Amino acid sequence: MRKPAIAALFLAILTAALTGTAACSPAADPADPAGAGASGDAGRRATAADIEKALQTETTLTFWSWVPDIDKTVALFERKYPKVKINLVNAGQSAAHYTKLQSVVKAGSGAPDVAQLEYFALPQFALSKAVVDLNRYGAAETKDAFTPSAWEQVTVNGGVYGVPQDTGPMVMFYRTDVFDRLKLDPPKTWEEFRTVAEKIKADDPDAFVTSVDPSDAGGVDSLIWQAGGRPFAIQDATTVRVNLRDEGTGRWAALWGDLAKRKLVDPAVGWNDAWWRDMASGKYAVWIAGAWAPGAIASTIPQSTGKWRAAPMPQWDPAAPAAAENGGSAVSVLTQSRNPLAAVGFARWLNSDPEAVRSLNTASGLFPATRELLGSAEFTEAEIPVLGGQKANKVFAEASARVAPGWQYLPFQVYANSVMKDTLGRAVAAGTDLGAGLTAWQEQITAYARQQGFTLASGS
Amino acid sequence: MADTPVVAPRARPPTFRRRPPTPRKRPPRPAARYHRAAWAFSAPFCAVFAIAIVAPLAYATYLSLFQDRLVGGTVFVGLDNYLTAFGDRLLHVGLLRVALFLAVQVPIMLGLALLAALALDSGRLRFAGVYRIGIFAPYAVPAVVAALMWGYLYGDEFGLAGGAALSGPWILTSIGNIVTWEWTGYNMLILYAALRVVPGELYEAAEIDGAGEIRKAVSIKLPALRPALLLAAIFSIIGSFQLFNEPNVLAVLAPAEIATSYTPNMYAYNLAFNGQQYNYAAAVAVVLGGVTIVVAYAVQLTAARRERRS
Repeated sequence: MRKPAIAALFLAILTAALTGTAACSPAADPADPAGAGASGDAGRRATAADIEKALQTETTLTFWSWVPDIDKTVALFERKYPKVKINLVNAGQSAAHYTKLQSVVKAGSGAPDVAQLEYFALPQFALSKAVVDLNRYGAAETKDAFTPSAWEQVTVNGGVYGVPQDTGPMVMFYRTDVFDRLKLDPPKTWEEFRTVAEKIKADDPDAFVTSVDPSDAGGVDSLIWQAGGRPFAIQDATTVRVNLRDEGTGRWAALWGDLAKRKLVDPAVGWNDAWWRDMASGKYAVWIAGAWAPGAIASTIPQSTGKWRAAPMPQWDPAAPAAAENGGSAVSVLTQSRNPLAAVGFARWLNSDPEAVRSLNTASGLFPATRELLGSAEFTEAEIPVLGGQKANKVFAEASARVAPGWQYLPFQVYANSVMKDTLGRAVAAGTDLGAGLTAWQEQITAYARQQGFTLASGS
Repeated sequence: MADTPVVAPRARPPTFRRRPPTPRKRPPRPAARYHRAAWAFSAPFCAVFAIAIVAPLAYATYLSLFQDRLVGGTVFVGLDNYLTAFGDRLLHVGLLRVALFLAVQVPIMLGLALLAALALDSGRLRFAGVYRIGIFAPYAVPAVVAALMWGYLYGDEFGLAGGAALSGPWILTSIGNIVTWEWTGYNMLILYAALRVVPGELYEAAEIDGAGEIRKAVSIKLPALRPALLLAAIFSIIGSFQLFNEPNVLAVLAPAEIATSYTPNMYAYNLAFNGQQYNYAAAVAVVLGGVTIVVAYAVQLTAARRERRS
């Protein structure tokens, strides 16, 4: 007789537990609370005075970033605004960071107030309303402080979803000790690069011209970009084009497929201890990366300071030199933040205050996105110790000016990049046909696009 | 059920002269009171079970009936996610991989655990306690730490295997080795505990009949171990299907060999947290749970049938 009653109680507990879970989920996309201003009465926008006031109020902000030595610049902020305490968290590098961020966004709690987002990841978080549209906080007034290309990369469908922090004009870093010993010149074209690769291998079978990370789609994307490939495009809010079989991508695949097949490049996973040790030892003669690389070298393998130099990337057509962006980040405010006014104030100060951008440049080696610093003589004439005192900012600025136009990322590039290692990455690691790998990658991306409700434009 | 004995005495023949014992006249209250007490005692468990197991399961099942798209938002799709899952090649490959793992690794691990338990129980070992703790100790190492440690041993930087252990054909074996190392001691302990409850008289009787240690092991210990072995096998089956920690940690060292869909659990995880496909991930998880239940139940049923036959 008692059983139904107990069953009812059990059910009640279950329902309570379920509604408890359900009650949490609306918090996943809360109209941003300062935003209580913005979404409540739609017309009102936060002014600079509101933000300044929030920065003079006791508060703690959590900031996720993996930029090396950024704590030094954060300390400058805390000195300037002593009432705001910044809780700096390194949640991992790139992919690991986005997985964690995605999880806390979905969970509806636990997200930081402010987070670093590379430009390729920004559209995904913007589309899912995980980050705040800064137009509500007077973004337009700050536009002129940044370079147009950086500003373009934080703009998605008219909204501004982050403050540009740095850009990553891609150049070639090479080891003078290896190049001098073998009496080699830094390669100016990819054909010369292939020859250099052969010579390095012939000299020492355990050495490589460079490594290629089968799990890092970002590096591959940038190399395809420079080779003239334009595999990804957003045509409108619901239409994307994916074409990993275009001419430029094919050009990249032919060269790197050959290098991988002949074991002239090492398919090693980057950024772990073993890889950094090989970078320090000179096992790899070249690192093709964004202008942020010297900062990473200085903080991780200071013992190799002075052995590196920067040169423009090898070219496909020396008559029409081209470069690409590799990395580069914005700093965005999460919609979960309880104090978005202070969070916006922090993100803005960190990336536009002259003192802060100088600190980010010298302490962390970030290539600035602000016009003021890029135009100053102290920047162009600066000697970079990691690069043996080379005035390398000129090399970076030249690369920045030559970034080939027209590249786009998909609105779900984080996912597309995450499955590169299952498809193209396998071919790179095994040294097999990269064309087949590209086809497999293409299929997985288009299947996802369809599943997410996108229309695939012709040529996909 | 509780009511029947109350009626029964009246049907007895009249020759039965003694008065029926008084408790039988009472209404069946005590049983109800026992039930209430039983529920009261199990209520804390039921509450935690409901919140920690039933609710998430129900929520996952609920989630699996929707699709949350970047374009078009959340829509109810009924069983669409399940249809996709049944036709999903990546999920099939993952399931087959863990099934192969199960078929090879679990017998090896349980065999080793059985040998260790019999050796400990034989009483012929000196310092049996040291062996027992020693074999059990790896279980105390967290799975992630164990996988990292083995990852370094396997790797070509500091390792012993020159990197071969992390290359294509060997990687599943390498994972099997880690899992065996971790779980043999745990299973040994289950089996050893079962052996300790075998009454000593059985052994004495067998010795009088002239049985040696081997004969005792085969004729007394193994039959006594059957329920414990079945339990250990079911735990291992569930564990195999849920394989996640070890491949996920090794994937950092061998990204091209261990795909994001290497095991069904990894697939669900990556669908959810890299692809934002929480709903499809929920469906994959439910399918995985279903497959696990079917396999575990089939093993139990076969064992029970064999028991009855013998």
